[in-house]
Amino acid sequence: MSNKKEREKRREERLQEEAKVQTGDRRTKLLQLGAGAVFLVIVAVVVLIVANSGGSSGGDAENLQEVAAVDSLVNGVPQDGMTLGDPKAPVELIEFGDLQCPFCKANSEQVLPQVIDNKVKTGKAKITFHNFTIIGEQSLPAGAATLAAGEQGRGWNYLELFYRNQGEENSGYVTDEFMEAVAKGAGVKNIAQWNKERQSKAITGEVEATTAQAKQYGFTGTPSFAIKGPSTNGVELLGSMESPEEFEEAIDKAS
Amino acid sequence: MNFPSEANLRRAIAFVAALGIGVATYITIADSGGGSPTCLAGGTGCETVANSSYSHIAGVNVAVFGIIGYIALFLTAFFANDLARFAGFAIALGGFGFSVYLTYLELFQIEAICQWCVASAVLMTILFLLNATRLIGYAGTDPERGSAEPPESEAELA
Repeated sequence: MSNKKEREKRREERLQEEAKVQTGDRRTKLLQLGAGAVFLVIVAVVVLIVANSGGSSGGDAENLQEVAAVDSLVNGVPQDGMTLGDPKAPVELIEFGDLQCPFCKANSEQVLPQVIDNKVKTGKAKITFHNFTIIGEQSLPAGAATLAAGEQGRGWNYLELFYRNQGEENSGYVTDEFMEAVAKGAGVKNIAQWNKERQSKAITGEVEATTAQAKQYGFTGTPSFAIKGPSTNGVELLGSMESPEEFEEAIDKAS
Repeated sequence: MNFPSEANLRRAIAFVAALGIGVATYITIADSGGGSPTCLAGGTGCETVANSSYSHIAGVNVAVFGIIGYIALFLTAFFANDLARFAGFAIALGGFGFSVYLTYLELFQIEAICQWCVASAVLMTILFLLNATRLIGYAGTDPERGSAEPPESEAELA
């Protein structure tokens, strides 16, 4: 009797021991699976970040950034050539810029949006972009491509989108492929016509003419600004400007 | 090591996931109206982020994926078995990894911060920590493999 009881007790203990081992195995397996999942997620995040950081240097025709942001900034605002805003706006702010210039990019992204919202969309001012090609050879085709987009009413979309996807100065990123990708992203409808016009004498001549005009004004860097309004004496030179408030003050003074 | 009780962890997971559902739903609704979430203190980061090309994947707002993830995490809190523990951990891990990626995009690609996205990233991080604690502390404690204990566990949660 006692033997039988003892055997049963031992059997019970053995079963408990086995169950414990099984539970432990399951726990180990789950934790190993968890560790594997952590490893996989780390790899996936690193791959995603590396894949995207390639785009941050800009100039990537296949990965255009900020198309929607540009649309929301300028769509709905009248455009005539390279002038953005109501044609009847009393004040005209004139920008002399180079598509390759990083300061122009910073200005376009950080300063001008507030000016566009507060002064251009309200009809108080319009902004005209003129090319002042000083960075290098690629600045001319980039500037011409912008003017050709302006011929189809998408000049400011092109300008802003180019800035937001700008590559390193003179690095060779301003290829036909890149410029065409920007044109498509900017909503230029007739790409064939745009391609023809951007290489025309009339357009490249205009880029050279505005560059000469900027030099005549005595500008030495981009972006440089000038302003014209009811309270100015013809075109007044502003030079370089830093903040949206400076622009707004200049526009108010010129009104 | 002393772990919080599993019932408390599950309560916390359900609570944080419910907050996450709220945040992700707000972002989705604000975006679907053609607008963007309103940043507190008059910031414009939310608009910039919502308008960026990263805010949608295959035409679907990323916040929609957030809603799905938070709902799934919310549901895992109602079961006390290994399947729920591991599923909760895996979903929260995926969500946490995705949040890291999105925060990277905000900081270095879009160069704008959306407070609602940060809120969601913080909630997902908390959920990841809670689910990791739950898995490490309670994996393999089922009475039988894969068995659920819904009646008891739901009573605990209530």
